[in-house]
Amino acid sequence: MAVADLLRLLDTNPVFRARCVHRQVYESESPRYGCLDAPLSPSLASYLDQCGIRLYSHQCETINHARAGKNVILTTATASGKTLAFNLPVFCHLEQDPDARALYLYPTKALANDQLLSLEQMAQYTGITAKSAIYDGDTPQSKRAAIREHSRVIISNPHEVHYVLSWHAKWQPFLSNLDYIVIDEAHRYRGVFGSHIAFVIRRLLRLCRHYGASPQFILSTATLANPVEFAHALTGQDFVLVDTDGAPHGRRNFVLFNPFYDGISERSVHQETKDLLVSCVKENLQTLCFTGSRKMAELVTVWSRDDARRISQKLADAISVYRAGYLPEERREIEQQLKEGRLRGVVSTNALELGIDVGSLDAVIISGYPGTMMSTRQQAGRAGRKGGESLAFLIAQADPLDQYFMHHPDQFFSRPHELAIIDTTNAYIVSGHLLCTAAELPLREDRDSAFFGENLSCLLPDLGAAGLLRKTIRGWVYVGRGRAADAVRLDGIPGESFRVMCHGRLLETMDRGQAYREAHKGAIMLHQGETYVVSEMDLDTHTIRVTETDVDYYTQPQKEIDISIIGTLETRTVNNTPCFFGEVEVTEQYTGYKIKRGDTIIGLEPLTLPPLTFRTKAFWFIPQESVEQTITESGGDPGGGLHGVEHAVIALMPLYVMCDRWDIGGLSSPSFGEKGEPVVFVYDGYEGGIGLAEKAFGLLPELFTAAHELVRDCRCESGCPSCIFSPKCGNDNQPLDKDAAVLILRELSHGPGEADNAPIAAGKSEVQAA
Amino acid sequence: MSVIPASSRIGALWQQRMQSMREYSVVRDGNAFEAGFSHSVIFSSEYDRARMYLDTLLDRHEGLAFETIFRGKEIVNEGGTCFALESRQGYSFPSLDSDQLKARLLGDLTLVHGIGPAIRKRLNARGYHSIPDLLEHPCFRQQAKTVLSSICGGDSSAIMDLAGSRHSRSHPSVLGAATLHEPEDFVFLDIETLGLFSRPIILFGIGVVECGHLIVHQYLLRDIAEEQAALIATMDLVSGDRSALVTFNGKSFDFPYLMDRLAYYGLGYPATIPHFDVLHFSRRRWKGQFPSLRLAVLEREVLNVSREDDVPGQMVPEFYESYLRSGNPGPLVPIVEHNRQDVVSLALLFSFLLEEAYGGC
Repeated sequence: MAVADLLRLLDTNPVFRARCVHRQVYESESPRYGCLDAPLSPSLASYLDQCGIRLYSHQCETINHARAGKNVILTTATASGKTLAFNLPVFCHLEQDPDARALYLYPTKALANDQLLSLEQMAQYTGITAKSAIYDGDTPQSKRAAIREHSRVIISNPHEVHYVLSWHAKWQPFLSNLDYIVIDEAHRYRGVFGSHIAFVIRRLLRLCRHYGASPQFILSTATLANPVEFAHALTGQDFVLVDTDGAPHGRRNFVLFNPFYDGISERSVHQETKDLLVSCVKENLQTLCFTGSRKMAELVTVWSRDDARRISQKLADAISVYRAGYLPEERREIEQQLKEGRLRGVVSTNALELGIDVGSLDAVIISGYPGTMMSTRQQAGRAGRKGGESLAFLIAQADPLDQYFMHHPDQFFSRPHELAIIDTTNAYIVSGHLLCTAAELPLREDRDSAFFGENLSCLLPDLGAAGLLRKTIRGWVYVGRGRAADAVRLDGIPGESFRVMCHGRLLETMDRGQAYREAHKGAIMLHQGETYVVSEMDLDTHTIRVTETDVDYYTQPQKEIDISIIGTLETRTVNNTPCFFGEVEVTEQYTGYKIKRGDTIIGLEPLTLPPLTFRTKAFWFIPQESVEQTITESGGDPGGGLHGVEHAVIALMPLYVMCDRWDIGGLSSPSFGEKGEPVVFVYDGYEGGIGLAEKAFGLLPELFTAAHELVRDCRCESGCPSCIFSPKCGNDNQPLDKDAAVLILRELSHGPGEADNAPIAAGKSEVQAA
Repeated sequence: MSVIPASSRIGALWQQRMQSMREYSVVRDGNAFEAGFSHSVIFSSEYDRARMYLDTLLDRHEGLAFETIFRGKEIVNEGGTCFALESRQGYSFPSLDSDQLKARLLGDLTLVHGIGPAIRKRLNARGYHSIPDLLEHPCFRQQAKTVLSSICGGDSSAIMDLAGSRHSRSHPSVLGAATLHEPEDFVFLDIETLGLFSRPIILFGIGVVECGHLIVHQYLLRDIAEEQAALIATMDLVSGDRSALVTFNGKSFDFPYLMDRLAYYGLGYPATIPHFDVLHFSRRRWKGQFPSLRLAVLEREVLNVSREDDVPGQMVPEFYESYLRSGNPGPLVPIVEHNRQDVVSLALLFSFLLEEAYGGC
């Protein structure tokens, strides 16, 4: 009972006891099995028998829905047997219809390979012909034709699909019989990337329709607040949800661990992580530790091994790091050692949460909130062997979200809040896929608006006028200079692209915004974990030249932001505060950059760059005049208060709308526009907007309440990184007034005169409806 | 709910992005090193000359109507309308000796699956010199019978498949299958397109032989809307009972491109017909003798044809776009001539190769 020993240590050791601010216990669950509406075929039934498998309730539900012709989205936990849940209905169908084909989409190569193995194994056992194969950028030319012709299950990725759709004539045998599309890890396709993938899928469906097929979907995702809405946005189809997990698990403990429990921390989060890891390993718990960066993974490993060596060399050798740069053999070696119990502690970066195949362990340590509840749940889900007790830690950093959870464990362990966003109305994204679509089959407004929405009729003439499409009686035909699919990058909003060159070698390309932000002259730039310094930025040729460097400082750009409102699309009043959603034009002017070592500024350099202007979507709100009066009367600074509100709202937005705080921008001003009103803006940091501000607008009451709690409950005197300081503030976190911010936020979350613990106003129902 | 910016920023954005995506690169004159690496290059002097030529063409044809420049007629079919041009020139197709092919095939034991050079030698030593001889052989009897029926069947496709799969697709026996056809069977095809893939074909050139003449039919798109009609007109010429397609690099480019455009408009595929790709035979015949094996080089070196006022093939899309934008038909003039000359040179090169290999007495 090693877990129990460690829990006892956490309770008795005064250092640990002070830091463990909350322990949530999930009692063990015994398996719940389900029934199938119709029995499986003898071959599949005997396959399950041979493997000793009895189907859990969620697996049966998935199979029943799929066999009834419905699209299914499955959101049960890691290791709950999702793969079997979608492989069974697919194989069932392959057996019944000898022409049927299926497409599986996976976000990573490693997952595709794993899936190929399980499909091959199933085909071999059952004798059902699948001829499963991976078709991606690495598939040799010589094998491609045979895979297209003969494979009944093709595993690919959305990028590959994007490129092959223009060769659809060659895919006719496959497309015309495509009956199932399985998308695993579908939550990966959210935000800008997901919005692109939504159109890749629509293009695929359009071609299927052309060849007479109408495939059915099975999706699996991590826990989201809006799985059905998300699946609909991604595919344009209606879904049924399967979210009740029938798989068994042992007793689980989730500990919130706050090194900043007293408002300050004597030791770094990484040192605290190391202590916990060593304690776990000493108790003989197999432990996986996730850190925020590669460098931290290395450091925690080295320190842990040093500590462990004081006990024995053997214990030190049982701790290892798991790097992204490892060769497949090296990874497999580590995975093997873990499975055999030779390794007890493995430290990895968040980035590897998917690619790692180590099965389940005794304990997981998550050092720093990984950005989404979804990732946190997935990482924590690695702890939990069948039957045994397990343990997961979240070690908080001095960040607002981390600290918010430490102070509000109920929020952390309640039902999911996070909405995964897909925006199918961003004109910049739609237009690129319209070009691709028109290159695949003539584009007709009457038939194709179902896939591309109302934007179609506005955008087509515009693309026609630019000489990229030509209207014919057959529909719009693509006539552009380059291949459309080559011009559309799935991970960004189209814009001018800058090339980053190192000694004549192309490192990466980035858009103008990112270039100004991260690769201005003098900037210290990170690329795949390596550090570079920018020696030159040529605005005419869009070329950035960098050289490798090894410095202990970093740079942070400073910018001034200006916003003008183009149009208001929606208004609402939240606790008497008028709130707006609409289109804005943002102008960002980068004025200089700071050179910092740790938190110390060691230099300040000016920058001369032309202003950056883009149109996007934003929400903004105008706090009541009365609050301003209260603040001024008590000697506070309303401007500093608004600034703090802006930072707190942006910091907590990822709690409700899945995004990175870098995806959104903000501006606050004590006197904005002609009327000179106080205002706070929060906008999507992408040309055209990507649906983040729009979704958050619907959830403003919750957002304001959470922001209020965050700042109110922070133990700091006058603002700190855990509440209203922002790491991306272009104004050096100046001015900030914490007390004023709390006053404004209280007004926003309660309305005037209401008590602090007033019930949360309208809007809660919206989350549940989603 | 969504708002599209009123200004046409999106169109302009994509236009700028596409302009930077040229499918060829311009390299400094004489930079053979770089030229050898990139997939499609054009030397800067040639590029500059072509750009100047484009300006001249636009000047010269300013205000002129399409019909005054091109003497052709509009044709109508179920795909709509397109514009057809026709030109003819004397063309003497060599008289070919199909017995020579037959003798070559019958004497080629390696056409039988399982017989390589070593086994052939052994078989020769034991008195097997021809396919009919093998009908007596205990092991190869059955296979030889199949091969023999292919040879005697007189079906060019069967012979091309047989020789192509046992040897290579540029083997003289593959070329020799042409001797089984009448000159009137051949359809010489060359297309001009707006890009390397998945964009419209803007000009179809099809050469056919009629009583000692080569007739070149060209279907030109006055607008992209005419592509479907032009595709149908082209397929009508290609899909005769005994038709045989002749192209230059058409197995890799023209034919798949044509099939793709048919699929684009949801038109069915034609039955497969024999296809002679002259590039393959030329490569075997002239490899290493000339700086490259492009059609323009071969016609100069082998046929003594020299072109004037030509448009470089890679720049056809730019010329056509310039027509689409301005409505000035000037830039089409060299495209039409370029395509016509390609079809003529293709036909001449094909008969040159055939005469050399299978010319009768």
